[in-house]
Amino acid sequence: MIFSTLEHILTHISFSIVSIVITIYLMTLLVHEIVGLYHSSEKGMIATFFCITGLLVTRWVYSGHFPLSDLYESLMFLSWGFSIIHMVPKIRNHKNHLSAITAPSAIFTQGFATSGLLTEMHQSTILVPALQSQWLMMHVSMMVLSYAALLCGSLLSVALLVITFRKSIDIFGKSNHLLIWPFSFDEIQYVNERSSVLLNTSFFSFRNYHRYQLIQQLDRWSYRVISLGFIFLTIGILSGAVWANEAWGSYWNWDPKETWAFITWTIFAIYLHMKTNPNFQGANSAIVASMGFLIIWICYFGVNLLGIGLHSYGSFTLTSN
Amino acid sequence: MDPLSKPNSKTLKRVIPPRAFLITPSPLLQSSSTAFKTHLRSLCYNRNQSLRIVSEIRTSKDEKKNKPIPKKIILSEGAPSLSEDVNGNKEIRANSIGNPVFRYFKKVPRKILSVLSNLPLAIGEMFTIAALMALGTAIDQGEAPEYYFKKYPEDNPVLGIFTWRWVLGLGFDHMFSSPVFLGMLVLLAASLMACTYTTQIPLVKVARRWAFLHSPEAIRKQEFTDYLPRAAVQDLGVILMGAGYEVFLKGPSLYAFKGLAGRFAPIGVHLAMLLIMAGGTLSATGSFRGSVTVPQGLNFVMGDVLGPSGFLSNPTKAFNTEVHVNKFYMDYYDSGEISQFHTDLSLFDLDGKEVMRKTISVNDPLRYEGITIYQTDWSISALQVLKDNEGPFNLAVAPLKLNGDKKLFGTFLPVGDSDSSNVKGISMLARDLQSIILYDQEGKFAGVRRPNSKLPIDINGTKIEIVDAIGSSGLDLKTDPGVPIVYAGFGALMLTTCISYLSHSQIWALQDGTTVVVGGKTNRAKIEFPEEMNRLLDQMGGKFALFQVNSLLSLLNQSHLSTQMLRRAKICNTMV
Repeated sequence: MIFSTLEHILTHISFSIVSIVITIYLMTLLVHEIVGLYHSSEKGMIATFFCITGLLVTRWVYSGHFPLSDLYESLMFLSWGFSIIHMVPKIRNHKNHLSAITAPSAIFTQGFATSGLLTEMHQSTILVPALQSQWLMMHVSMMVLSYAALLCGSLLSVALLVITFRKSIDIFGKSNHLLIWPFSFDEIQYVNERSSVLLNTSFFSFRNYHRYQLIQQLDRWSYRVISLGFIFLTIGILSGAVWANEAWGSYWNWDPKETWAFITWTIFAIYLHMKTNPNFQGANSAIVASMGFLIIWICYFGVNLLGIGLHSYGSFTLTSN
Repeated sequence: MDPLSKPNSKTLKRVIPPRAFLITPSPLLQSSSTAFKTHLRSLCYNRNQSLRIVSEIRTSKDEKKNKPIPKKIILSEGAPSLSEDVNGNKEIRANSIGNPVFRYFKKVPRKILSVLSNLPLAIGEMFTIAALMALGTAIDQGEAPEYYFKKYPEDNPVLGIFTWRWVLGLGFDHMFSSPVFLGMLVLLAASLMACTYTTQIPLVKVARRWAFLHSPEAIRKQEFTDYLPRAAVQDLGVILMGAGYEVFLKGPSLYAFKGLAGRFAPIGVHLAMLLIMAGGTLSATGSFRGSVTVPQGLNFVMGDVLGPSGFLSNPTKAFNTEVHVNKFYMDYYDSGEISQFHTDLSLFDLDGKEVMRKTISVNDPLRYEGITIYQTDWSISALQVLKDNEGPFNLAVAPLKLNGDKKLFGTFLPVGDSDSSNVKGISMLARDLQSIILYDQEGKFAGVRRPNSKLPIDINGTKIEIVDAIGSSGLDLKTDPGVPIVYAGFGALMLTTCISYLSHSQIWALQDGTTVVVGGKTNRAKIEFPEEMNRLLDQMGGKFALFQVNSLLSLLNQSHLSTQMLRRAKICNTMV
């Protein structure tokens, strides 16, 4: 009883803090940088992080197993993953646009987890025999962390696409090879010196300098975060395969969840390959990442919604009776 | 300071290619090599963006040293090595003189290689595979043809064209073993190999060779550049070493790099993928599997259960081993739900000697000479009952409803005249081995008894005592020679994917009078690298060159990246 009360309190605290943080972000977006507010929002995210950590630990102690056995718990864990991704670059003192993605993501997942749709799932459940393994911790935590990172990264790409969308993508694509260089002083001078052919393009780019820089930043952050998520996804899928070989007798079963995880992996592998080739950079790779965004949701929810295959543990029904 | 000042003449020598070919190529060579050069470029399709070969003749500018190394060719990273190019030209020329048939045969594999290593093709393959897999989860797999006739009828096709003819014709009813899907996988594997061979391995050769840049212009062309007035290049070297860079210093030039492993790791990723594919193929062709449900107390021979899956499957001596199920039992939660089930197994060899004994459970299989026995399922095989203190009788139990994990088993004990056409009796139902629910002749609930409780139940004058419920264990058996290979691939893939996150950063610096020109670039961490560089250069007590700043201050006033530089500029201004 005390545990569920504590859990309840922690959920509500973290939820309200994230709402306030989002409000602050919106304010700083509209009214430019109020430093005090900005700092308080940072503290807010840290507080949220500790609340969710507390929530998960409470659940762990209370249920006696790692809190990742059903959808509610995995959603809370996803939210926790978002807050981690939010905090890590802050610790290393990077100023970035990630916070605009992570905070709303955290609140949406929490909102969904605590909403009425899944009320009957809030009670922590027992573990079926197949889940009783040390691999649960490794496999599921890695998968959910990778979802968090990949969702963030692909949302950054979606943001890039939205910004690019108004201007024709063609212009962006063409001036891409010129603009992808970081703009240090010498670079610009160098570009100026370079040739008269480039002058038109570079003049154009100076006018849109801020926008291009934003796009470039989004592109780079997206690449970095997706690469990180890709590592987690690889480890998650492979540890899952090893576990499946222990529990089911085969390391790969073409089960729907497995297959969709592999599709996700393939899509982000395509993204990473596109990044190595300048012909595909910019908008093209961002489109692939946006596709990846949809595919993660199919992998995470769609398969569970159908409740088919061997991964039917986290399945739920959306009947509200 | 020792490793700093040590001149690495060996590597330096390698950097200088036989330039005579390049600078003044003979007309013959040029004509015959143009085709090959373009061919080579198409081979290196996805890195020809960096095919910037900057060759400079620097006789007059090099005022500091009057050494006779006037000419130097600087390879930008990613470009194929020049010396290779030259050798290749020679080869082609030799071949063109020789047998044309031989030349033809030599060209064909190259053409195939260049097609396969094409990045857009590989991306297309990956997209196709992803789409096929998605289709494989959308279409129900492994059903009878009638099911598909009904689900994808010809008169009402899905999306206007998709009918059962597609499903059955292309083998989409068993997608993951269909020729289309397997063919795509083979094609992808071929692409992986071709790309590793033609693109990645040459990349290693280039990345291993490093070069000093001897002109400020070349350094300024890097992605990140900076100036350090009144600084010594040696101090920069010390700082870079402290930051984990490998530093090479020769005269006024400095070259430093770190994270070289990050450039090689993608090769490892590709090789690991190939290893996994090879292991998977071996698994598919060389394994045995089978499943069996054995009541407690009975035994079976492994070889009777195991069936081969492919032409490479070879039975071993261990297949004669006999497996005896000593005991099957389950653990329950307090709420009564099943938490785990166990089977106590003994293995006997041909001589009847017990060679192994283990209690297995889900997630804890038994392994014996390449054969693995998994606990996968359970059921109830019989109930032992005493009827009016007679018996015990063994009543066979049948599964009534098997719906996922919710199992129900039932049996029937006839009471009274068993010869009459209308037999009545007592029904017994069980969800697990814990408790048996009994119903009387009219089908009304009579009571619940636990096996072994020694508590009889009286149903309309018949005394029933349930002595025991005998479970049977569902076992899966498997031999898989591919597992070690696949696991090796898994390990390698995890490791190399992690290493691939490292970014290969390179820094060049040149002492130009009292100023040090610094330039650097990195292949992945394009966000972190400039910040790291700024931090390191700040350690130099960086004073920023004013002549650069003032001209561009107004231009970059609102830019985000330049805040660092602005700050430095302001410091300079106050100092001045």
